[in-house]
Amino acid sequence: MLINSIKEGIKKGVETTWMLAKVIVPVYFIITFLQYTPLINWIAEIFKPIMAVFNLPGEAAIILVLGNILNLYAAIGGINAIQLTPLEVTIIAMMLSFSHSLLVETAVSKKLGISVTKVILIRISLAIVSGVIVGRLGAII
Amino acid sequence: MMNILKEATFGSINSVYSIAIIIIPIMITLQILKDYKVLDKITKPFNFLARIFKTSNETVLPLLVGILFGLSYGAGVIIQSAKEGNLNKRDLTLITIFLVSCHAVFEDTLIFVAVGANGYILLITRLIAAFILTYIFSKKLPAAELQEIRQENLS
Repeated sequence: MLINSIKEGIKKGVETTWMLAKVIVPVYFIITFLQYTPLINWIAEIFKPIMAVFNLPGEAAIILVLGNILNLYAAIGGINAIQLTPLEVTIIAMMLSFSHSLLVETAVSKKLGISVTKVILIRISLAIVSGVIVGRLGAII
Repeated sequence: MMNILKEATFGSINSVYSIAIIIIPIMITLQILKDYKVLDKITKPFNFLARIFKTSNETVLPLLVGILFGLSYGAGVIIQSAKEGNLNKRDLTLITIFLVSCHAVFEDTLIFVAVGANGYILLITRLIAAFILTYIFSKKLPAAELQEIRQENLS
C-alpha cells in the first residue's frame, strides 16, 4: 500500500517535472536570447513606470504576463533567466501566487458556479495590493 | 552566439532540476496523504473555520483538499459534495472564494522558494489574505438560516 503510494507519487512527480520542463526550457531560451537584443530594453522601459509601483524592474512585466496567461512554471523559467534580487523574486512570487494560470484556473472555478469576472477581479486585486505592500515594505527594509 | 546557447541550455536544465527535486517529494507526500485518506480523519480540528464563515461542516474537507492539493482536486471534492446535496449555494461561493485566492500552498510556495523567494512571507500572506477575504464575503452573504427567515417574511 505504502509502496504503491510512493510509486504513484514518483510517477506524478516525474510527469509534472516533464510537463514543466516543456514550459521552462523554451521560456528560458527565449528570454535569454531576448536579453541580447534591444527588445528587452524597450519592454523594460515601457513597463518601468508601472512596475515601479511594485518596486520591480521593467522586465518583470514579462514574468507577470507569462505567469498569468500560461502558468507558474513559465514564470519560473523567466525568473531564472532574468537577474533579480531575492526581494524582487519574493514580490513577484507574492503577486503570482494570488493570480496565475488565469485561463485554466478560471475555467475550473467557473465549473463551481462562481462568476468569472468576480474570480479574476478578486485574484488580480489581491495580486496588486499584495505586490504594492510587499514592494513598499521591502523598499523600507 | 555559442555562449548564449550554452547559457540558455545550462540555465534551463538547472531550473528544471531545482524544481524537480522539490516537486517529486511533494507529489509523493501528497499521494500518501490522499491514499491513506489522512485529511478525512483530521477535518474536526478545522471545523472552527466553518463556524467562523457560518458554513456547514461539509465545507471543511473540500477546503483542506484545495489548500493542500490544488484547485482542480478541491473542485473535484466540491462538485462531489454538491452532487450529494451537502453544500448550498452560499457554502459553494465561500469555499470557491477562499480557494481561488489560496490553493496548492506547498507546491506553489516551494517552487518559488527554489528560485529564491521568501516562503514564510508567501505562505502566511496568502493564507491570511484568503481568510480575510472569505470572512468579508461571509459577512456580506447572509447565513442560511437568515436567508430562510427572510424568505418566510417575504412570502
